[in-house]
Amino acid sequence: MEDVTHLRGWPPYNKGVIAKWLLLACCSAAAFAANGPGKVFPYAYTQEDLPNGLRLIVVPTEFPNIVATYIVVQTGSRNEVEAGHTGFAHLFEHLMFKGTKNYPKEKYTETLRNIGASSNAFTTDDYTCFYNVFSKEDLPTVLAMEADRFQNLKYSEPEFKTESLAVLGEYNKNSSNPGQKLREVLVDTAFDRSTYKHTTMGFLKDVQDMPNQYDYSIKFFDRYYRPEYTTILVVGDAKAKEVRALVDKGWGQWKHGEYKPEIPQEPAQEQPRTAHVDWQGAALPTISIAYKGPAYTDTAKDSAALDALAYLAFSQTSDLYQKLVVTEQKADSLFGSMPNRVDPTLFTISARVKKQADMDYVRDQILAAVKTFQEKPVDAARLDAVRKHLRYQLALSMDSSDSIAGVLASFVALRRTPDTLNKLFDQYAALTPEDVQKAAAKYLVESGRTTVTLTPGGAR
Amino acid sequence: MKTLTAILLLSAAATAQIRVIQLPGKSPLVTFRLVFTTGAAADPVDKPGLANLTAMMIAEGGTKDLTYKQFGEAMFPMAASFDAQVDKEMTTFIGETHVDNLTAYYKLLRAKLLEPGWREDDFQRIKDDAINGVRVGLRNNDEELGKEVLFAELYKEGTYGHYTGGTISSLEKLTLDDVKQFYRMHYSQSNLFLGIAGGYSEKFLEGMKKDFRTLPTGAAFHPRNKAPAPITENRAIVIEKDTRSVAFSLGFPLLTTRATKEYPAMLLLASYLGQHRMSGGVLYDVMREKRGLNYGDYAYIEYFPFGGFSMEPPQNVARHQQAFQLWIRPVEPPTAKFALRLALYEFDKLVKEGIPQDGFERTRDFLTKYVNVLTRTKSAELGYAIDSIWYGAPNYVDEIKKSMSTLTRDEVNQYIQARLANRHFVITVVTKDGEAFKKLLASDDPSPMTYNSPKPEAIMAEDKIVEKYPLGLKAENITVVPVGTVFQ
Repeated sequence: MEDVTHLRGWPPYNKGVIAKWLLLACCSAAAFAANGPGKVFPYAYTQEDLPNGLRLIVVPTEFPNIVATYIVVQTGSRNEVEAGHTGFAHLFEHLMFKGTKNYPKEKYTETLRNIGASSNAFTTDDYTCFYNVFSKEDLPTVLAMEADRFQNLKYSEPEFKTESLAVLGEYNKNSSNPGQKLREVLVDTAFDRSTYKHTTMGFLKDVQDMPNQYDYSIKFFDRYYRPEYTTILVVGDAKAKEVRALVDKGWGQWKHGEYKPEIPQEPAQEQPRTAHVDWQGAALPTISIAYKGPAYTDTAKDSAALDALAYLAFSQTSDLYQKLVVTEQKADSLFGSMPNRVDPTLFTISARVKKQADMDYVRDQILAAVKTFQEKPVDAARLDAVRKHLRYQLALSMDSSDSIAGVLASFVALRRTPDTLNKLFDQYAALTPEDVQKAAAKYLVESGRTTVTLTPGGAR
Repeated sequence: MKTLTAILLLSAAATAQIRVIQLPGKSPLVTFRLVFTTGAAADPVDKPGLANLTAMMIAEGGTKDLTYKQFGEAMFPMAASFDAQVDKEMTTFIGETHVDNLTAYYKLLRAKLLEPGWREDDFQRIKDDAINGVRVGLRNNDEELGKEVLFAELYKEGTYGHYTGGTISSLEKLTLDDVKQFYRMHYSQSNLFLGIAGGYSEKFLEGMKKDFRTLPTGAAFHPRNKAPAPITENRAIVIEKDTRSVAFSLGFPLLTTRATKEYPAMLLLASYLGQHRMSGGVLYDVMREKRGLNYGDYAYIEYFPFGGFSMEPPQNVARHQQAFQLWIRPVEPPTAKFALRLALYEFDKLVKEGIPQDGFERTRDFLTKYVNVLTRTKSAELGYAIDSIWYGAPNYVDEIKKSMSTLTRDEVNQYIQARLANRHFVITVVTKDGEAFKKLLASDDPSPMTYNSPKPEAIMAEDKIVEKYPLGLKAENITVVPVGTVFQ
């Protein structure tokens, strides 16, 4: 199998040609009300813990014949706490395809091919996810094979060294994108101790040193590929009781681990920071302004309020976008985002500017917009439109068992339960214009700001 | 097995015939796929990029009654989508909405396509986007750049011979009148496939058909692409830019399409050699898995744009002429020549020895099941149905399954001889130090591999052959071009 890593890059470079490939999945299934009461996640599900700490979540859906298994390991680049070993969560995603005694790599691949499964894996800041989509009759085979590799993975040092080169190849194929470089520099500048200081790919020097880290890789597996870090999501044409029996059989013997990482806490930033990237080659000047934001929460309004703020202040329907991109046409893109992460992370606003001379102007406009949202509550009708958008976006993204599992995986990675989704949407529902204003004032402060610019070679 | 319920309804009217493909269902979603059978192949010779710019203007501009801002505000709460995709022969608009919002959404979709706003300020913004799409978009994606240069080179004498996004100098000269004229000529009823799926009513569809009958009826004349010139010797285009690694695309013209009888055999051999973004293909196995040369290596018989972003083939990029291609993902510079030699060595081995029985069976069984996942969304199902009609071919998924059940190894081997043997390649390379790389390619010096770990005897022995494998590239057949001149 090949793997994919979630990386942030720039929006499509040729909107007409590429637009289709960015389409979000569509369709929804169960009953849904855009503004109504009730839970946004419309499916009934079971959630059970095995004695060893493994969690199993089964979501039967009305889509016939197909089952999706998403196995979420709550280990991502966030867990890379030791110097010199960044990128290991992602490397491990690759190594998980190296096989076991019972299912050597070739047999594993062959079996998945024979059942026509769509299989892959990806790594993020906070988790690694291994997924398969297949016909329901193959569920016993898939769960048994996955149980085997999670418990009995085996790879030699030469195999390890060769795979680490494929990871370098992955770094290389991403490296022609200036947005990628900008992101690397942004997180490296903004953070001092947080493991979000490096991207999921890791620092290049660590990626280049991976071939020498065989012993460490075994330690990494021993620490994190354990039941207490793992949640199995089974979504589709499946019955909870039967799935539980299969999981008990294959996964019940898996031993609970001992290791708990001490994830360093980021100290408070005391003054604004800046950095610059000289891009060798053609690029449009780009500016990213990031603020130290909160960790994901669904027991307070902070994450939800900042997420709403990103839409209100910096999305396509925001006044600033209309001014900079549509009316004045000084920038060709503008967006803001507050990602949901386990640890405190960045609220980021980015703009790509057409002319170097307008960089300062665009920066000042972004800062002025931040100030406006700190000083005045937003229009209640616009906040309602954001709420409606979020709910329809969610409904539209759940068009198959596969895509439902994908949505759930990102929330299970945060709080190990699908109810996370409902709780977050309860927070959106309760937001007031004052909440958004308060969050802007609390988090988007000058002393917590990092500004990174990128310009084409020597044109600073 | 899913049964395709697409119904082809030909209008009774003697002249204009909108072709309607419908997949009604109970989904709370409605999916639209409107395909106009026009695209970059219809760009006037001196106006490359016009078809793409026209579609962008519709997708990203305002309508007669709504400015772009007002349109965005109306769409936002629905979280609905409306996007354009342009290729050589097809221009596709793809939309999706929750059925709650169908009436409001359709009003917007209808206005976008039938009453575009044609505002000068929208045009300036979108034209800038199109220019930057080439200048800083495509040119900063080494893999996609190499692939597009390859296709443009293979078909340089025909209507496929320019990048769909256009050239910068052409885009700079295009006017709003050019775009309006292209729209008037090509966005016609007889060019339209109207695809719709999900929870809409029959009455809704009747209303939609009535609306789209206000488009002009006739189709504009499109010249068929010329047969590509045969490639008589290997040749290379080295695109020079500041970049970490070396990306390759190589290929030659291929007249196999879904309408030709060899399609299933060719699909199978490409899957065997390098199924897109999956392990198990020969190239992936020998290059990535065994030798750690890069992230992946694949083979294709159809155009597959944005393969770096997409795991499955796109729909509605149907073409009368295709290319056989190998995609070698970025390689560290010291091993780049070895990687190219290895890919050609494996290709030649396939031609010489044919597909082995076990490889044939394994690939056949894989494809028989794998085709099911291609139509797992309604949008994809519509897309495949429209492509099949365009090609004059049967339902894709059913046909591949049926063909796989009767296809033999001998047939595949016959087509390997007929379509791949004695062919020469155009090779595109994206690298720094272009002139040095040209010298490297032109030289017959060995390019030995060194590894960071011990390798089995068989690999070491094979490497001895590969390190000297002739690339067949003469210096005069290697051109170095600075990236800034590509699609300029």
